[in-house]
Amino acid sequence: MVTGEHSNMPVEKNITLERPSNIELTCQFTTSGDLNSVNVTWRKGDELLENNYLINATGSILYTQYMFTIVNSEQMGSYSCFFEEKKEQRGTFNFKVPELHEKKKPLITYVGDSVVLMCKCQGCFPLNWTWYSSNGSVQVPVGVPINNKYVINGKTANETRLKIMQLSEEDQGSYWCQAIFQLGESEEHIEIVVLSYWVPLKAFLGIAAEVVLLVAIILLCEMYTQKKKKHSDDGKEFEQIEQLKSDDSNGIENNAPRHRKNESVGQ
Amino acid sequence: MTPKPAGPPDGGWGWVVAAAAFAVNGLSCGLLRSLGLALPDLAEHFDRSAQDTAWVSALALAVQQAASPVGSALSTRWGARPVVMVGGVLTSLGFVFSAFARSLLHLYLGLGVLAGSGWALVFAPALGTLSRYFSRRRVLAVGLALTGNGASSLLLAPALQLLLDNFGWRGALLLLGAITLHLTPCGALLRPLALPGDPLGPPRSPLAALGLGLFTRRAFLVFALGTALVGGGYFVPYVHLAPHALDRGLGGYGAVLVVAVAAVGDAGARLLCGWLADQGWVPLPRLLAMFGALTGLGLLAVGLVPVVGNEESWGGPLLAAAGAYGLSAGSYAPLVFGVLPGLVGIGGVVQATGLVMMLMSLGGLLGPPLSGFLRDETGDFTASFLVCGSFILSGSFIYVGLPSALPSCRPASHPGTAPPERGELLPDPQVALLPPGGPHSTLDTTC
Repeated sequence: MVTGEHSNMPVEKNITLERPSNIELTCQFTTSGDLNSVNVTWRKGDELLENNYLINATGSILYTQYMFTIVNSEQMGSYSCFFEEKKEQRGTFNFKVPELHEKKKPLITYVGDSVVLMCKCQGCFPLNWTWYSSNGSVQVPVGVPINNKYVINGKTANETRLKIMQLSEEDQGSYWCQAIFQLGESEEHIEIVVLSYWVPLKAFLGIAAEVVLLVAIILLCEMYTQKKKKHSDDGKEFEQIEQLKSDDSNGIENNAPRHRKNESVGQ
Repeated sequence: MTPKPAGPPDGGWGWVVAAAAFAVNGLSCGLLRSLGLALPDLAEHFDRSAQDTAWVSALALAVQQAASPVGSALSTRWGARPVVMVGGVLTSLGFVFSAFARSLLHLYLGLGVLAGSGWALVFAPALGTLSRYFSRRRVLAVGLALTGNGASSLLLAPALQLLLDNFGWRGALLLLGAITLHLTPCGALLRPLALPGDPLGPPRSPLAALGLGLFTRRAFLVFALGTALVGGGYFVPYVHLAPHALDRGLGGYGAVLVVAVAAVGDAGARLLCGWLADQGWVPLPRLLAMFGALTGLGLLAVGLVPVVGNEESWGGPLLAAAGAYGLSAGSYAPLVFGVLPGLVGIGGVVQATGLVMMLMSLGGLLGPPLSGFLRDETGDFTASFLVCGSFILSGSFIYVGLPSALPSCRPASHPGTAPPERGELLPDPQVALLPPGGPHSTLDTTC
């Protein structure tokens, strides 16, 4: 059972429907003018509906009610009540089957790996689920268990899982899961990307080579500075030895050590 | 006439070691924290619950901390440099192995055990080596290295998300293996340093290498007890601060803000406290007890914050409490490592660092599950934060028992023992007689 609302702006209401139901749509229209001059019609889409509706006027409010039954998908769609006074006012009821939750990110997988695609319907229970894949515009049903490649199962009635094993690059592309209701279908799109291990491996090897280079540079630099330090240390040690010698021989007049102090010895 | 080893250089190559330790911290602890981003993809692929995949991170953390003494024992025997380099390769192998995982068990082994062991080999040796390079500015240097954690979260978390979006979790783990391989060049930068007070020869036995003998010193024993208690509460906010904020009524972004405030306060405080501690105005053990107590009080405040009225509010009281907690916890972190040389001497610092990590791991294994259990029993996190705040407070209370007068770390206070600079005349040929024997030198006064 549904009722309409009234306002000064175009009114629209979305209704989710899973199973065949009896429907009662009500629109209310308020105007200050003459109620009898208002023309009331009901349409489904653009098509004018002939019977099954009531019109009632109480005080300054005009009621109209449309009763019908929805049993198949052709009867789903948009139903509108029209009030024609100076300008046309309408209220619209949109009947849709439950929509599946939209996932956005593509699934990244690798060759030889397996992947599970899952579709879930919140609070609704489809009669059946099907899967198909599309490369471009061609839609191919998916799920026939050839070579143990595909397994379809679902843990509960409102979800379905498609497991694809032994992925290869041909499995890449768009996959659709479709929930089938008595009153229509709704579907969801999942994309699979199948990469070869070589893709990240290239980057890995590049970075590993850079690391090896870094380590080599660090160790070589250190060996180089150690060698330099050893040279200067040797030179300085020699100077110290000379200094002590010259201090020792201070009392004795001997210029020779002082000269030798200034020589630098290589290696 | 080889010169007697000089004291800690307090600069120079020490800053390079600080940078290396910063990177080590970022690539180990920081990476571990960001790993949580990959867990949902893993749960989806292997069709396991979030709790099962959370064990991957928990196992890696547990192995890293519990096996830390092994890392420090190995580096006591062979020097920090080769151990850290090997640790880097091991961690990288762990990630590469787990990239090809066919089941969650492979991930437990690859990430949990292999990578965790690699991390155990890198953290304590790097941090211990850093402590040896500094004396007057040690706590600042350690604080600087410890901010690697926060910096890594800023850089690696978005990078990891990018990798996940472009390469899937397998490619992301493989490339993380390449990134963690950079631990090896960091290890190469850890030049060995000879300091007075170093044990004369290699440790006599593996047990001695572990440094368990350090527990016979009263000061270290008191410290160990306090730290084990603090560990029981320290890690809980890492896991439960965000859920607690959500519980208290903040929206998603409000919770993010709370965590960010705590993280920024933590990172900034590490540097600030490092600088402050080095000024020497307050003895380090007193600072340690004070900031430990403040952290505990901060967590009590976080737990007692009232429920926020609506989701739109910016959660003032909780933000203030989280900020206070972050500032205190950040100040506490470098002090834990900075106080070690005074307690065990510069020769035992690497071993002590490993033991500290192990002690905190005991609490780390106990704290978050206990907190989760309390949450399930009582319905919200109040009890959890009260309990972990009390753990930290009691640990800090024990810290009060530490000796307040640690041996002075100022090198130039004694005449005639000015550190010999390279290439100049030696001081009086009065070679200091290093006492013979045991792996634990009694020259605690050098620090």
